[in-house]
Amino acid sequence: MSEPLEPIVPAPSELTEVALEALLFVAEKPLSRREIATLAGTDRATVDARLGDLEVSLRARGIRLIVDGDRVELATAPEGGALVARYVGADAVRLSPASLETLAIVAYRQPVTKSAVERIRGVDSDYTIRTLLHRRFVVELGRSQAPGRPFLYGTGFEFLERFGLTSLDELPPLDGDVAARLAEEGGEPIIEPLVTADEAPR
Amino acid sequence: MRLAGSPGVPVMIPVTAAPAVPAVTFGAGRRPESRTQIQMAEFDGPLALLLSLIEARQLDVLTVPLGALADAYLDALGGLEADRLANVSSFVAIASQLILIKSRAMLPRRTDPSDPTALADEGTDPEAELRARLVIYRAHRDAGLRLAELAIQRIGLFRREPAAAHAAAVAGVRPSDAPTLDPRLLVGALARLGAIAPPPEPPPEVLGRIITLTERADIIRAALRDVPTFVLQDLLAGVRDRVVIAITFLAMLELMKRREIVVEQATPWGPIVARATTAEERTSAGVERAVAGMPLDETLESFA
Repeated sequence: MSEPLEPIVPAPSELTEVALEALLFVAEKPLSRREIATLAGTDRATVDARLGDLEVSLRARGIRLIVDGDRVELATAPEGGALVARYVGADAVRLSPASLETLAIVAYRQPVTKSAVERIRGVDSDYTIRTLLHRRFVVELGRSQAPGRPFLYGTGFEFLERFGLTSLDELPPLDGDVAARLAEEGGEPIIEPLVTADEAPR
Repeated sequence: MRLAGSPGVPVMIPVTAAPAVPAVTFGAGRRPESRTQIQMAEFDGPLALLLSLIEARQLDVLTVPLGALADAYLDALGGLEADRLANVSSFVAIASQLILIKSRAMLPRRTDPSDPTALADEGTDPEAELRARLVIYRAHRDAGLRLAELAIQRIGLFRREPAAAHAAAVAGVRPSDAPTLDPRLLVGALARLGAIAPPPEPPPEVLGRIITLTERADIIRAALRDVPTFVLQDLLAGVRDRVVIAITFLAMLELMKRREIVVEQATPWGPIVARATTAEERTSAGVERAVAGMPLDETLESFA
């Protein structure tokens, strides 16, 4: 009886910028920094440093590094969006004013509960949030420690991709006074994350 | 590299970009409040409506006396469609706040700084509170519109199709350039497969259980071979099937008719005692011996 075949796994090597770009090129989903570190057999600091190098290198290229918290992926540059959209035959997507303002509240205030969204909008937002969840612009991040432990919502990769943002840092600035006030209030702490960096939907 | 070509790739078009009819217009009414015409379908929430009333008048949200808008707001509420009643409470809540603001503005207020109870009686200023809500709401509404503009301008970022990326990673090959197969080939293959396949098996036939008089009569005869008499209830002890009991009873009656056995029951519902008839009894009854070997009438026609 023959010995069972062992899978051929290349030995981990030093993580180079080229190797990192190749890995992200073939990845079928956003990768977390921890995943990359495990695959490359290196530490988190090295991954952070190579990602920083890659981001700088790609700034003048048609491919950009998209960063959403702990996870990263490669996508086309915002400047090439129109051309690529013509090639792939992109369909028009409509968002109602209610969806747009709800999405803006989630984007700028995340992690945020439904009741916080409704406080700002002054109207029930259950349907709007469910629609945004269905379209994956908004994702569930965890639960708040507030009574009833309500869900906390944030934006996912789909939001960044659809709105042509490479990270949340590229969000258009909010009104100065309002931004300062929101900064004072702070966000909701997450006590029970629902999605790990590896499991989160795109 | 082929990029994501799914139909969901976005080109964001905000609904508000080019509305067919302005959400707030002014007609030919006598008073400004009654002249306001509202397209209520445009408004999902009360703050959106109130802000639109302010902006339609080109007023500054930071300085406009909100109480002055109460009448226009209430007029607009009258245009709410019945199918939007789910949100009526939120509209009414803001309306009540506007009426409170208006009434406080009309009533004299104690503003004497030397009176320590004056400020306590005032409580939280509802106008300042509502104004702050409007400012925060406006900031996020405008941010949403800027996001929509951004999406139109950039259209979106495109990533590799997950399936294509996975296939490329696993196989490292490009999609085949060979021409696509003729669908008629598939139709022909399916037809041939239908001819080869064996016919489906018929569903299993369910047969009823058959209990014959002959079987039960043989059991009675066998019992009498070992003992001179037996009690029918004892013979059927442990038998739960009512049909078996009934057929056994009928077999016993058939054997009585043929003078093979004699049955006695001393009391109603008492033990039914059976014994084999003697040769003398059969002779005196005029029954020939050959009758015992004849088959029983399974049709029970003789009972009719």
